[in-house]
Parts: sequence; C-alpha cells; structure tokens
Amino acid sequence: MIEAIVAGLTALLTPQALLFMLIGVVYGLVIGILPGLGGVVAMALLLPFTYGFETAATLALLLGAHIATIWGDSVTSILFSVPGSAKGLALCFDGYPMTKQGQAKRALAASATGALMGGIIGAIFLALCIPLIRPVILALGPSEYLMMALWGLTVIATFSEGSLMKGLTASVLGVLVAFIGMDVVTATPRFTFGSEFLMEGISFPVAMIGLFAVSEMMKLAIKGTPIVDRSLVKEESTVWQGVQDAFRHWWLVVRSSLLGLWIGVLPGVGASVAGLAAYAQAVQTSKTPERFGKGAVEGVIAPDATMGANEGGGLMPTLAFGIPGGESMAILLVAFIGLGVVPGPDMLTKNLDLVFSMVWIIVIANIAVTVIGLGITPWLARLPSLQANLMVPIVLGVCFVGAYATRGHIEDVVVAAVFGVVGYLMDKYRYSRANFVIGMVLAVMIERNLHISLTLYGRDFLLERPIALAMLLFVLFTAALPFVRNWRRKRKVVS
Amino acid sequence: MSRHAQENLASVLLLVFFAGVIWMCQDFGPRARMIPQPLAAFGIVLTLIQLVWHNLGSTAELRMEMISVQAPDIPVAEVLETPVKKPSWQREAAAYGMIGVLLALTFVTGVMPAAFLFTAGYFMVTRYCSWQLSLVYAAVLTGSLYLLFVVALQMQPYHGLLAPLFP
Repeated sequence: MIEAIVAGLTALLTPQALLFMLIGVVYGLVIGILPGLGGVVAMALLLPFTYGFETAATLALLLGAHIATIWGDSVTSILFSVPGSAKGLALCFDGYPMTKQGQAKRALAASATGALMGGIIGAIFLALCIPLIRPVILALGPSEYLMMALWGLTVIATFSEGSLMKGLTASVLGVLVAFIGMDVVTATPRFTFGSEFLMEGISFPVAMIGLFAVSEMMKLAIKGTPIVDRSLVKEESTVWQGVQDAFRHWWLVVRSSLLGLWIGVLPGVGASVAGLAAYAQAVQTSKTPERFGKGAVEGVIAPDATMGANEGGGLMPTLAFGIPGGESMAILLVAFIGLGVVPGPDMLTKNLDLVFSMVWIIVIANIAVTVIGLGITPWLARLPSLQANLMVPIVLGVCFVGAYATRGHIEDVVVAAVFGVVGYLMDKYRYSRANFVIGMVLAVMIERNLHISLTLYGRDFLLERPIALAMLLFVLFTAALPFVRNWRRKRKVVS
Repeated sequence: MSRHAQENLASVLLLVFFAGVIWMCQDFGPRARMIPQPLAAFGIVLTLIQLVWHNLGSTAELRMEMISVQAPDIPVAEVLETPVKKPSWQREAAAYGMIGVLLALTFVTGVMPAAFLFTAGYFMVTRYCSWQLSLVYAAVLTGSLYLLFVVALQMQPYHGLLAPLFP
C-alpha cells in the first residue's frame, strides 16, 4: 500500500500533471463563481480535452476543476447570497449575514480553510477506508436512502425562522415544483400543460438563479444602496481571523468532514444534501444554536468542510463499483472509459496507484484552491460594497445569460425571471426560499426511493428493513429536537 | 393595500395553487399522484391554519425560535437592526418592470445584445455615468460574457425574434 501511495504521488509530479492541475483549478474557480454553472458543467466541458494525455494529468485537470468549483460556489453565496449551484445554498444562511456585518474577508477565509481541512480529512479517510467500506455500502438500499432524504426534510424545521407554517408551506411548494415534468417512475407527464420544455422539468440551477440572484437584484434595485454600505459598516475582519476560526472549530470540521465523506460514499445523494446536512448538524450540536442564521462562522465552516470531504467520499463507489456517487462522478466515469480505465474491484488491487493519485489530487488541488482563494479574498470582499446601480445590470445580465447557458433553452430565461419574482415575493412575505429549494432538491429522491421500496418490500417495507426503521427513529428524534430545545428555553425564561 | 390584506391575498393564492394541484392530479395514475396529491392537501391544511391564525389568533404560538433570537455574545452589526426604508410601490413596480424589460429584450434581440442594451440603458436611466461611459461599460460586460460563454464554454447563443431580419 505504501508503494501505491508513493507511486500515486510520483505520477502527479510531472510538469504536464502539475500544469493541468493549475489550469483546472483556475478554470474551476471562474466557472464556480458564474451563476448556474457548477462542477458538473466544468467537468463536462473539459471532457473533449482529456484524450491523448497522461492519465494522471487528465485526472488532475478534471478533479482539480471540480474541486475548485466548490469554493467558487461558496464565494457568491457568501458575498451576494447567490448560490452558484444547489450545494452552495447552505453558505447563504450565515455567510451572507457575515458579509453584511463587514466580515466578508473572515467568512471567505474560513470557508476556504474549512474546505481545505475537509478535503484533506476526506482524502485521508478515503485512503484508510478503502478496504472497509464496501460491506457498509452494500447493506444500504432504497428504504435507507428514503430515510436519509426524510432526514434532510426534517432539517427544514431548523431553517424555519418566524412562522413555522410558512416555512413548511414553502417546503411543500418546493417539493411540488420539483414534480413538474416527466415522472421518472411511471413516465407520466405531470403539471406540464402540454409543454415540451416542461417535460424536462425545472432546472435546479435556473430556479436558484431566479430565487436568489434575480430576486436579490430586485431588492437591491428597490433599496438603491449597496449590499454593504461602507459608510455604515466597515470591513473590519481579516483573512487571518477566518483561518484561525477554522482551526479553532477543528472538532466541527472533523465531524462535518466525516459526514461529507459518508454522504459522498452513498451513491446518488450528492453534495447539495451534504451542505444542508452539515449546516443542520452544526446547528443541532451547537451550544448556542440561536446565533445561526445571523452570521455565525460555524455556519460557514461546516458546509464547506463537508463539501470538501464529499469529493473523497464520492470517489469510493465510483472507483470500487462503477456506481457514481453523484453527477460529477458520473462524468469522471465517462473520462475513465476514454482513458481505458475500468472501475471495479481491480481498481482497489491492480490500479491502486491510480486511486492514490486521485487521493493526492484532492489534497493538492484543495491546497492550491485555498492558497489562491486566500490570496484573492481581500479583492473579492470589496465586491459587495459596489454601488447598486452598477451591480444590478451586471449581475442580472450574467444571470440571464447563465440561465440560458445551463441547458441552451431560451425558456429557462423565463423560468429564471418567474422564479425571481416568486423569490422576491417569498422574501417579502417571509416564506423561506431556503426551505423551497431544500424541498426541490429532496423531492425526486424521496419519490423514487419510496416507489422502489414499495415495489421491493411491499407496504410494510420498514418492518422488512430494520436499518431503515432505526433511521426513521433517528429522523423523528432529530425532528423533535428543535421543539424540545425551544420548549426548554421557554421554560428557562419563565423560571 | 395594508400588509394584513396582502398576507391574506398571498394565502388565498396559495390555496388556489394547492387546489389546482389536487385537481390536476386527478388525471394521473395512482402511483404518479401518490406523493403530490396528499402533499397538496397538506399544503391546504398549512395555509388554512396560517390564514386562521393570521386573522383570528396570535402567530406567536406557531413560531420557531431556533434562529430568530439574537445571540447575547455575538455582536450583530447595526446594519441588520437599522430600519430599512419601506419600498414604495413605484420602486417595486420599477423592479418588476426592469425584469420584464430584460426578458422582452432577450426574446426580441437575443441573449448577448439584450445584456448590452439592458446594461447601457440601466446606466443611462439611473444616471450612473455619462452615456458614452455607459456604452463602454456595457460593451466590456457583453464582450466578457461573449468570451466566457460563447468562446470558452461553446454556448450556442439565442439570436432572438429579430434574427431573421438580419440574415
């Protein structure tokens, strides 16, 4: 194994591999910052350039780009409350309030350092877990995935600021909107009104461009002042503070990284769920959960650490079984085929050096992203103080082009505009936009796994699957926890 | 219209939406409507409770205080506490109009020209800078978008309804 670790690193120390990784990282950062374009798009666009080069160099290009998009997503979530893709959503909850409080540098640095630490922890655990994790993955079925998705939905209670009814209504709306299009199980067109475009469903990135970016620009145009008015709020934080924060909350980073690794290992769950789950566990395990949503740095560190570690986890089923851990890993599988690499048990025996090359790529690419990220943070932190009249047309222009670019359908521009208006109204009447998006993300997973569970095990599938039953009890426990805490706090105040 | 009435109107619109979902679900098979139909019914229940509480009772009992209590040990910047100027209906209407104009421009002229026209127009209307500078800024933005999306990312741009006039 030691030989494979060294061979994996040596393969990356060629000029071609290092140059490709640098190109991938810079390209990934740019793509990550553009709204609507995430790691999947970044990797898909690189595929044509991956043939005819060294295997390690090609993987460095692809994985480097993908890892860089994660922090790129975080940047826009923190500075403008505009998640570049679904996985950046959790960063909006505390990152954006930090920016508004003049703590943008601290938030960005904490985010970059958290992602680096998560990436490294994820890579180390991936290396250690390779021989152990196979039986665990095989023990989980659709019923367990259903419970995981339900757990994700109970997270909603954590995000419900103000009226719980409005929060739940928003999540119901999100789930229903996700059902627009062809039903994957019965092939029934639902809520499509005969439109061919709606058969494909509502694109997540486009919906988020509308809900967050367009609606925020509408708010900015109405307000007429910058996101951060420097005459009122001075940028007083430093990059060093953010770096220290990540190290100070090292236990949170470890917990979040392990969560990210675990979610990454589960096929089809994805980084968007990972970020939200990390935020939820950060709130639920905090001694002062009331600080979350108002600019708590832990709310920035936890999702980034999780998403950093998630990539390492996602590689595991991709390499060991040829089952992609997410969309980006599916693209990596396509690249493997082009390179003549066959995923499966052989990867963990004959091609172990290649596996460790990928582990090293995750580590080195994360370091490169963090170094570049910390370097450009002081300049990035100035962006929210730009005048509203400068920001609004530029961001709206980018958003509309980005919405169109997502799938190449002009109708997506209409969807972005409609969701922009909906997002503005939801914000005005305090229906949580975050809940709406969480509902959208989890809807398909819930429906698909429920149908498969019913088909495989019948109506009493919970009794057939004891792990799923145990997970359901855990879901009920975590759902009740905020209410119990709330009740206890009220009792404390009364006494 | 008062805020109270606006909230009621929003709830009524939601009720119509959920009722519409249930009505449309009648056309689907039992499996296809297994989740949407009960979920829409749940949405109706939630909205009705919200409506009743909003008009007859206090909303305090329905509140989750998880993230709505200010921390005693973390100083939250004054910007969050400063009363935000209430948006006038004219400014709100202008914001809706702005989205409508950009959408119309996109359909008529195509994605890239719309970005140029909208940016230049916005700078001029808001008097952010002189018309010459507005055109320069808009050209720089559009050029950057073109390089990124069309040249680098190989996006096929939409040319708009006017495209047939310029073969």
